Amino acid sequence: MQETDKEIEAVEVIDKGELDTVEEKTIVRFPTRKQSQTSSGSYATYILLPAVFLTVTLLGGLRLGAVDNAFLFLKPALICLVFAALTFVLFVRSRMITIEGWISEDRPMLENAGNIAVLLTLFTATVQLYNSLLPEQGLTFWVIGFCFFWTIWNNLFADFDPKRLLRSMIALFGLAFVVKYLVLANITAAPTGSWWQRLFENPGKEAFTWLLELPQYSAGTGYIQFFALSFYLIGLYLLPRQPRQ
Amino acid sequence: MKEKYIHISSLLITIVGFVFIGFLYVSEPRTLAEVATKSQVAIGTYEINKEEFGRGLAAFRAEDYGGARLAFERADPEKRDPATQFYIAYSFYRQGWGRVSNDDALFQSGLAASDRVLAIDPNFRTSDGSLGIKTATELKTEFEDGLKITPSDFNPFKLTRERK
Repeated sequence: MQETDKEIEAVEVIDKGELDTVEEKTIVRFPTRKQSQTSSGSYATYILLPAVFLTVTLLGGLRLGAVDNAFLFLKPALICLVFAALTFVLFVRSRMITIEGWISEDRPMLENAGNIAVLLTLFTATVQLYNSLLPEQGLTFWVIGFCFFWTIWNNLFADFDPKRLLRSMIALFGLAFVVKYLVLANITAAPTGSWWQRLFENPGKEAFTWLLELPQYSAGTGYIQFFALSFYLIGLYLLPRQPRQ
Repeated sequence: MKEKYIHISSLLITIVGFVFIGFLYVSEPRTLAEVATKSQVAIGTYEINKEEFGRGLAAFRAEDYGGARLAFERADPEKRDPATQFYIAYSFYRQGWGRVSNDDALFQSGLAASDRVLAIDPNFRTSDGSLGIKTATELKTEFEDGLKITPSDFNPFKLTRERK
């Protein structure tokens, strides 16, 4: 997490001896070069982060067809919105983001709008990440969905700091990725040949595919979703608790 | 850059991003080429491929209706041009028409194509003088009549009728 508090900048300045004390009031002179640092932080917050989260929003629902590698854009299920909303509450509870730091009456409307835009991209990226990691249908959808719900619900009542929450998120999403795109993808039968041919050649995979209603996608889907997950976690890492003022 | 401009850029990136992503998830293109075509439709610059249309027309006049349809479909992949869709429907009519009985499968496809023409332009009228049927409504009626079995179908004088 990026530290944005002014106190830290003040401490740096104190070290350089640019501190005056006038009638028990401390005046801190911020050097002019700090302005460029603020700008680079603003670039990361207002330009890079929305771009990263929008990329996740785009890729999260993208699958590649098993036969022709055609794009398949899957809209998120309602439960993904619920999970994303709960995750957002978790971010706020753990102080990973402070709502009053992002949206405030004291700030200009344009700045508030920019901040809301960043938070909105974070929310949609979270929705699409759940869309990516939840199996599309069948028993696995309910089992993994329940696991997500259980974990988020438990986390809601635990004491977290931002770093621990980030580690917890990496563990949760990483495990879900492994389950869906490595384990389940490997027990899904490829849609080549006739049904009888597939049944004789690989009865186990065919049975799992049929029983668990596993969708058949091209191997490229896993790679796309790996990048989506990586971008999301990078975005979370870069996300400041509150934007620099 | 001033903070104000950074905020404006952020808003613009977000709005453009959401519009683009929304467009993709609504239009569901299956290939990158379809992304380009559907984008042209969305911004109103979509045009049919004139060369393919010309090839389709040549095949149509040479009574190669299957080849004509393939060319017309390449010319109008988004199925948005009433003239091209009318020719597709007409090719189904001519290929499916029979003096004794019609090909129901081709007529069904033709009916769907004529419905597409009516959906795009209900008042469409072709300017091609070589076609006996001028409007999509007339073509649709031909398909519907051809698909029905009525007592008049057993009228021996029907054998003298001509394809339009």
